Amino acid sequence: MEYFLGVDIGSISTKAVIIDSNLKIVASSYLWTKGNPVDAVKNVLSELQSKIDDNVHIVGVGTTGSARKLIGAMLNASVVKNEITAHAVGTSTIYPDVRTILEIGGQDSKIILLKDGIVTDYNMNTLCAAGTGSFLSSQAKRIDVEVEDFGKIALTSKNPTKIAARCTVFAESDLVHKAQMGYKKEDIIAGLCYSVCNNYLSNVAKGKKLEEPIIFQGGVSKNIGVQKAFQDIIGKDIIVDKDGHLMGAYGVSILALRSNKRINFDFSIADQKFETKGITCNKCGNNCEIVLVKQNDKLIDSWGNRCENGSVSS
Amino acid sequence: MDKVTIGIPRALLYYKYKDLWINFFEELGCDVVVSCCTNKEILEKGKKYTNDESCLAMKVFMGHVDYLKDKCDYVLIPRYACLVKHEKLCTNFSCLYDLVRNTIDVKIINYNIDIEKKEDEFYAFTGMGLALGFKYRDVIKAFRKAKKFEENQRNKRLLRQKNILGKSDKIKVLLAGHPYNMHDSLIGKPIINFLEANGVQIIYSDLYDKKYLKSEVERITQRNYWTYNKEIIGSISHYKKRMDGIILLTVFPCGPDSLSNEMIIRNVNDTPIIQLVIDELNSEAGIITRLESFIDILNERRKIHE
Repeated sequence: MEYFLGVDIGSISTKAVIIDSNLKIVASSYLWTKGNPVDAVKNVLSELQSKIDDNVHIVGVGTTGSARKLIGAMLNASVVKNEITAHAVGTSTIYPDVRTILEIGGQDSKIILLKDGIVTDYNMNTLCAAGTGSFLSSQAKRIDVEVEDFGKIALTSKNPTKIAARCTVFAESDLVHKAQMGYKKEDIIAGLCYSVCNNYLSNVAKGKKLEEPIIFQGGVSKNIGVQKAFQDIIGKDIIVDKDGHLMGAYGVSILALRSNKRINFDFSIADQKFETKGITCNKCGNNCEIVLVKQNDKLIDSWGNRCENGSVSS
Repeated sequence: MDKVTIGIPRALLYYKYKDLWINFFEELGCDVVVSCCTNKEILEKGKKYTNDESCLAMKVFMGHVDYLKDKCDYVLIPRYACLVKHEKLCTNFSCLYDLVRNTIDVKIINYNIDIEKKEDEFYAFTGMGLALGFKYRDVIKAFRKAKKFEENQRNKRLLRQKNILGKSDKIKVLLAGHPYNMHDSLIGKPIINFLEANGVQIIYSDLYDKKYLKSEVERITQRNYWTYNKEIIGSISHYKKRMDGIILLTVFPCGPDSLSNEMIIRNVNDTPIIQLVIDELNSEAGIITRLESFIDILNERRKIHE
């Protein structure tokens, strides 16, 4: 049987799955990116390798997420695809009738609307990261609560505090203000969950019609406080899949399967030395930032140049 | 009289009036120098003259003026206050002249357009020609010729776009935004390049048939008073049925766009639409992700419709 690897390298976490040609997930891995996508991918690969038999032979690799290009070069991927398409493909394979995907990740959030398994509309937050996972974790730190406990604590609140949701900076000062006024911690935490939802609905969903079934994904979907807030505000059922965080990796592994390209993937790639370097090209006024990727000191890829002057070759 | 050299910044209103401007001055026998295409160096220079509240297009503009400061006798910086009665232009267009005069050491040649004060194009251009020391007769002749040239160029471009619209089977995307953002080599060009490299036929919002504008705008809104945004809205309304998708391009922080685009996104429900906000961030990755997924969606939609 043929097997396919999908890797989703996000700003906060790195996810990877191996599927067989029946689209069944045979192994998965989920780790923090910690600002170092190359090492994170090496780690997920060695974890995956320990979970599978020796006879599992991978013939296709797909990468997605914000470091997809870098990791695509590193793994010699057959498919490099944006996370919106990857998520849509992954989710609609498991839920063929899904109409709405809400996704809140570490630094971005998006909404995908589908009909008959095809994306009909989507939206993504602007370059501002208000109301995303990193917002929640920085606020958790501020009030000295583990972000993993956020949801549980939020559920104990009977009277969520109203917190300004439009902008992270304002939300933060509002939160400090409410805390100083003497609001209970659980009420503030529940209020934050509601503010994330309100922020999402006004900045990302922008009045789009949310048809059922609605699936909530991304790291923040693990937070039951936010789940409940969405359910309350939208007034519809919200489905959270236990494998929701893997959908991007799953989707891109399916895309690798569908592509005609077959490669010979070897786990030993995790033992090789990869180096990335950013250089500034000074050949014209554009001063392009060019990224170089080196494998065992040999240049394998480069990008970022706007013109031929900046093209780098080994 | 020595030959006068007029410098034209390749930014903001250049993309609306370049044919008129260049032709007018050349008809009068002036030398015209247009600043080079925007690059990071120009933007960095422009940032020094502007504050943090200025939009990206303004920063770019100031960089172009700086580029021209020792390459010409005068830099052309007109003041546009009002083009249609009871409508408005972004205040930037009425303050550019004063802004430059107070920050960059250049000689400026200027004209005023304010329809509510009866200062129209003819009045403005003849005034400018006289101020440069040309004879009234020559100025009028040059203006009429330049006007005609401008009209012809526009019609040519419009016709070309119409032909493409009728013929092309490619995925069609309406790129909607201010011309100075869409056609700028730093702001819009990377987007245009990416779309074209991915097999998309781009239709530009600044090429529209003027006679339909008013009725088309009113199909989307009756309550917008920004003249330049009305052009974008009218164009969207006019083209959207024949488009696979619409990309709204704006720069941060644009006041009129922030109102107008929000309204467009909420009111245009029959065509997929995304908004791209460009700021000084160096990374193009976020923009590419959005464009790539948008094209994926448009391709998928095509497949079902077929």
